[in-house]
Amino acid sequence: MGNGNPKSGRALDGVRVLDLTWLQVGPQATRLLATFGAQVIRIEWRERRAVDFLRYTPPYAPDHARADGGRVQGVTRGRGSPGNYDRGAYFNNTNPGKYGITLNLNHSKGRDLLRRMVRDANAICENFSPGQMDKWELGYEELRKINPGIIYLQTTGLGKAGTYKDYVSYGPTAQAFSGLTFLSGLPEQDHPAGWGYSYLDHSPGYFGAILLMAAIRRQRLTGAGCYLDMSQCETGLMLSGTSLLEHQVTGQPTARYGNRMPFMAWSPHGAYRCSGEDNWIAISVQSDEQWRALTDEMGSPPWALDPRFATAAGRRQHENDLDHDLTGFTAGCDRYDLMNRLQARGIPAGVVQKASDRFDHDPQLKARAYYVDLPQSEIGTWPVEGFPAKLSRSPAEVGGMTGRAAPKLGEDNAFVYGELVGLSAAEMSALAEEGVI
Amino acid sequence: MNRDYNLRASLNGLRVLEIGDQLGDYAALLLSGLGAQVIKIEPRDGAGSRRVGPFAGGVPDPEQSLFFWRYNLNKQSVTLDVDHLDAQPALCALAARADLVLLSGEFEVVARRLPLWRRLAQDNPRLIVCTITPFGLDGPWRALKATDLVQMALGGIMAVCGYDPDREGFYDTPPIAPAMWHSYHLGGEYAAIAIMAALNFRELSGEGQFIDVSIHEAVNTCTEVAIPTYVYTGEIVKRQTARHAATVITHARLSESADHVLMLANLSPFERELRALGELADRVGIPHVLGTPEFKQLEKDDRVAAAIYRNDLLMEVVASLPADEIFHRAQAQGLAWSPIRRPEDNLGDPHFAARGSFATINHAELGRDLRYPGTVASDGEAPHFCFDRRAPRLGEHTDLVLRHAGFGEEEIATLRERNLI
Repeated sequence: MGNGNPKSGRALDGVRVLDLTWLQVGPQATRLLATFGAQVIRIEWRERRAVDFLRYTPPYAPDHARADGGRVQGVTRGRGSPGNYDRGAYFNNTNPGKYGITLNLNHSKGRDLLRRMVRDANAICENFSPGQMDKWELGYEELRKINPGIIYLQTTGLGKAGTYKDYVSYGPTAQAFSGLTFLSGLPEQDHPAGWGYSYLDHSPGYFGAILLMAAIRRQRLTGAGCYLDMSQCETGLMLSGTSLLEHQVTGQPTARYGNRMPFMAWSPHGAYRCSGEDNWIAISVQSDEQWRALTDEMGSPPWALDPRFATAAGRRQHENDLDHDLTGFTAGCDRYDLMNRLQARGIPAGVVQKASDRFDHDPQLKARAYYVDLPQSEIGTWPVEGFPAKLSRSPAEVGGMTGRAAPKLGEDNAFVYGELVGLSAAEMSALAEEGVI
Repeated sequence: MNRDYNLRASLNGLRVLEIGDQLGDYAALLLSGLGAQVIKIEPRDGAGSRRVGPFAGGVPDPEQSLFFWRYNLNKQSVTLDVDHLDAQPALCALAARADLVLLSGEFEVVARRLPLWRRLAQDNPRLIVCTITPFGLDGPWRALKATDLVQMALGGIMAVCGYDPDREGFYDTPPIAPAMWHSYHLGGEYAAIAIMAALNFRELSGEGQFIDVSIHEAVNTCTEVAIPTYVYTGEIVKRQTARHAATVITHARLSESADHVLMLANLSPFERELRALGELADRVGIPHVLGTPEFKQLEKDDRVAAAIYRNDLLMEVVASLPADEIFHRAQAQGLAWSPIRRPEDNLGDPHFAARGSFATINHAELGRDLRYPGTVASDGEAPHFCFDRRAPRLGEHTDLVLRHAGFGEEEIATLRERNLI
């Protein structure tokens, strides 16, 4: 464990993290540690069932992408073929800045090697099913005997302690259970809209980073270790807004309200169709003054001058009619042009941006250099999603210590086992032959 | 509780000044849950988040905002007109003792306040100054007007959330911003991450720094495969009801239980889950052909027909019993199924009671306790966060905090007479 060099400009300089996580929720947390300069060592094994599922989840880099030929080097886009663990696009976006090694934890020598690495590590992270690490005798209680200051993060759906400690969960399961799925959608529909992705595979990762960094700071100050039993469902409850309080205070069941704003006198408030295919704009009118400005911008059509719509209370009472009439106007408008016109009048409005809009067009993301070009050793240099804050002294660097996007499977065996762990070349080749590394 | 394990006091001694509106409440809340002392400096008519509903009494009242209650636990409230020149001595006195100041709100407001903090940071080089604004402090969109809805639109989450299109692929329902306040959640979580990094750097270097959080970028980080799919293949993922947006429309995932509760029930591509469905069907007494040679042949000959068979069987299993029973039985087979709960369905669940997931907060003015979401992680025995004090009343701690900062009773009285506090 190093103490870190302030001149490095890296907040987590000298911090080593053993990363046994896979899929999204665990790798999200360790990605953020790598971003602040921790030496994150991603540990995987070569067997299909032990390889990170994201390594063989589409989309893949196009087949013609090469180590010196990624998108940034001018390679065209396209759907790649499956069958190679090192060409996953989403995996590449999720795991930049990390070292990658292979280690067989089903082999006793593999477990011994992990224990040896724990001695010099600050933190270890995993999101196996509950109990897997205990079966290997690599649970927190075992590892703290080797390194009393170790920080251990385990992320599961419901948590390792509690009535449902053996239950399994993916992000969508946790979203359904905690109430986030129910809260999202139109009140008139039987079904909720829910989330179009695993929100609870991301937010618990952010919390993982917050808590790991709180623990690392304390470890630097006092040497104390930490055990973190992180729960995706608890994170969902944390993100359920005011719904739990409202229920307790009013006794009423929670309702969902689409894109409207039941808690403020804001109306119209929603997503409105624009010209083109599946194009929409969000408009959020916060005052009568903004409503009058919107009316003016529309050329004061008779429907908008209807006294029913003159006050926020009236607009909310007649919101279905209002939304219908407003759509009659927006449907003929270009979405970005309308956004600019409304913003010029001080009305909060924004295009419902698709991925293409956010990547090709969004001038704000461009100006702030949000996307980061990083090389990957098999598919070349591609843009990776960035970190949403600028720090003046210890900046976020998504490429971390490696300066790369995601590692190939076992890409850094020689460096990690040779230079960091101190194995000789002969020891390494013997372990490789035995199926340990 | 083993004190070494738990982080609830890990930020003890850290003094945080929070100046702003609902963009910053959550970041400061998270720090307070880890033991930081958060002083919320509010205008005399209250911070903006006091005007966000719902309200306990049903009508707007700065002391009755459930939003304010939710996101301001543990904090102290000081009223001070920070934009008035004559309030600066008080602000400077507080800044001299602070480790971190959080400035949140619209760009114009934060940009107007920032120069003072640049000066104060020169006197207090350990000070960390974190701004949270809708789009960050620079760039062509920095001064755009935004609300949570607008941020969810521009940031890309709305485009991947919503309902299925019709058979022709036409969407007759709009994209949906999942309730509620998630752009501020994302901005707050990333602010807390950046602050934790800055605190770690300060332990190395002794230096504070400036942090510029963009909520727009925070929302942008959180759309999963949408960006990689477009960047690598040029394809756009399509939003679909209660499941992942994808380039193709996938099988529905919600089905109705015998007591008409919707269940999230599906099979991931792992072979063991198909076996588990067969075992579950056996246990609830539904005949099926999973695992038979005929089904294996069907899987080879007609993958679509096999998938439809699997899905129909799954829906029949779900429909055979009440949701709660299906939930426990499916979990016993290792299937990650869940009922679509309302948040409040969890208040009485023994699992969360056993973990201490909810914080019980006394509201003397209501004559009762309320339970708040209290943690995201446990140390095996106790939550890592600690929330134990209700949100402050407006200005509840003004005198106390100013006295601690060295102000005498007369000075405080003068500030009050001049309507500065």
